[in-house]
Amino acid sequence: MPSYTYAIKGAKLLNARGYPCEIKRTEKATGGCGYSIHINSSCSDALSLLDRYKIPYRLITDGGET
Amino acid sequence: MIINFDNSATTFPKPENVRYTALQAIEKFGGNAGRGGHRLSMLTSEAVYSARESVAEFFGAEPENTVFTLNCTYALNMAVQGIMQNGGHMIISSLEHNSVSRPAYRLAEQRKIVLSVAEISDSDEQTLQNFRSLIRSDTKAVVCTLASNVTGQITPFKEIAKMCSERNICFIADGSQACGVIEVKMSDGINILCTSGHKGLYGITGTGILVSDGKYRIPPIIQGGTGSGSADLHQPDVMPESLESGTLNTAGIMTVKAGIDFVKSIGIDRIFAHEDRICRTFISQISKSSEITVYRSPKAKYVPIVSFNVRGMNPERVSDILSEHGYCLRAGFHCSALAHRSLKTLQGTVRFSPSVFSRESDAYSLGLLVRNMTIQEKT
Repeated sequence: MPSYTYAIKGAKLLNARGYPCEIKRTEKATGGCGYSIHINSSCSDALSLLDRYKIPYRLITDGGET
Repeated sequence: MIINFDNSATTFPKPENVRYTALQAIEKFGGNAGRGGHRLSMLTSEAVYSARESVAEFFGAEPENTVFTLNCTYALNMAVQGIMQNGGHMIISSLEHNSVSRPAYRLAEQRKIVLSVAEISDSDEQTLQNFRSLIRSDTKAVVCTLASNVTGQITPFKEIAKMCSERNICFIADGSQACGVIEVKMSDGINILCTSGHKGLYGITGTGILVSDGKYRIPPIIQGGTGSGSADLHQPDVMPESLESGTLNTAGIMTVKAGIDFVKSIGIDRIFAHEDRICRTFISQISKSSEITVYRSPKAKYVPIVSFNVRGMNPERVSDILSEHGYCLRAGFHCSALAHRSLKTLQGTVRFSPSVFSRESDAYSLGLLVRNMTIQEKT
């Protein structure tokens, strides 16, 4: 996530809409320190929700950034 | 005995829930918000975000467009210097605090911007005309206080905002004396709202707020650690962090949330009615003396602030005498050079400003004391 503010805004939204998630420090951040929202289940619906609420993100899977 | 009628500078006392929150913040929220993944940091970050949500909701904004600053002066400097970074024409009102006029005059003296000052009249229509007549094709921003910190006069800010919106001019509002006593929403047409957290919102000192509607990008005037993108030598471009370099005032921010909760629990209309009644009681007393000038016009509207002078007495002398009796009122220029030029109060004024905790009986007694002061000075 581009900032902690967006991370917590996104996480609150996702949790409220039934997508359990948690905020963690990003391990594979390209620009340095950052925060990620970790979603264990399939995240395509969750991403649609973030898009709908104009919450910016970069998708990181186990394989790296996309 | 201390009776505080200097609440325009900072409200005191603070509500019980604000005092409790300050203590809790120091005892339990000791992490550095947005600066780590450990439990203490995350707990503190969540508390800051919760405050951000409260402020955003209070003004009708988004949390990510809500920036915490050290005070309103910092917020106004960020807005003025940020928006005008690439030059252009700017209009400020004749009632602006030095937080606006000083950075604006400096930019103008450095020939980075062209500056105009619009006179605030006691007629809203005249005020609007004064602004309208100064607008140019290159006018980039208009800065106007919502209410004067000297006289309390409420400006026609919604109409000024509309005028700006129709011309794609950024409208920056100083809400320091208005927020918490009159309803202020971004939907009033404000593009950037700057306000204190420690006045009508009842947080502790060291708190300010900048709220944006997101329409105009605000380049940062201060760079530093933001807790994100830390390997990059450039400041991140994402609000609010782009404007929040350095460790946040966690305790202060948490008290702003508590203060807003307090204001909401009472209601802005009730707070205004209470403080306005106290001002009217005070004015009714001092107006009985022809030796006292009250800087109010029957044509204008006011937040609960009363500026006055006693003929033949320096405002500082008046304030000193009142202080000896336990009354705290601020005298002088109230950091508003432009306003006093406009009012022609060359020695300043004495300012009376109650809070929700003020008592009408104290305003009555103070009024009597000020009136008696004029008699004693004559004898």
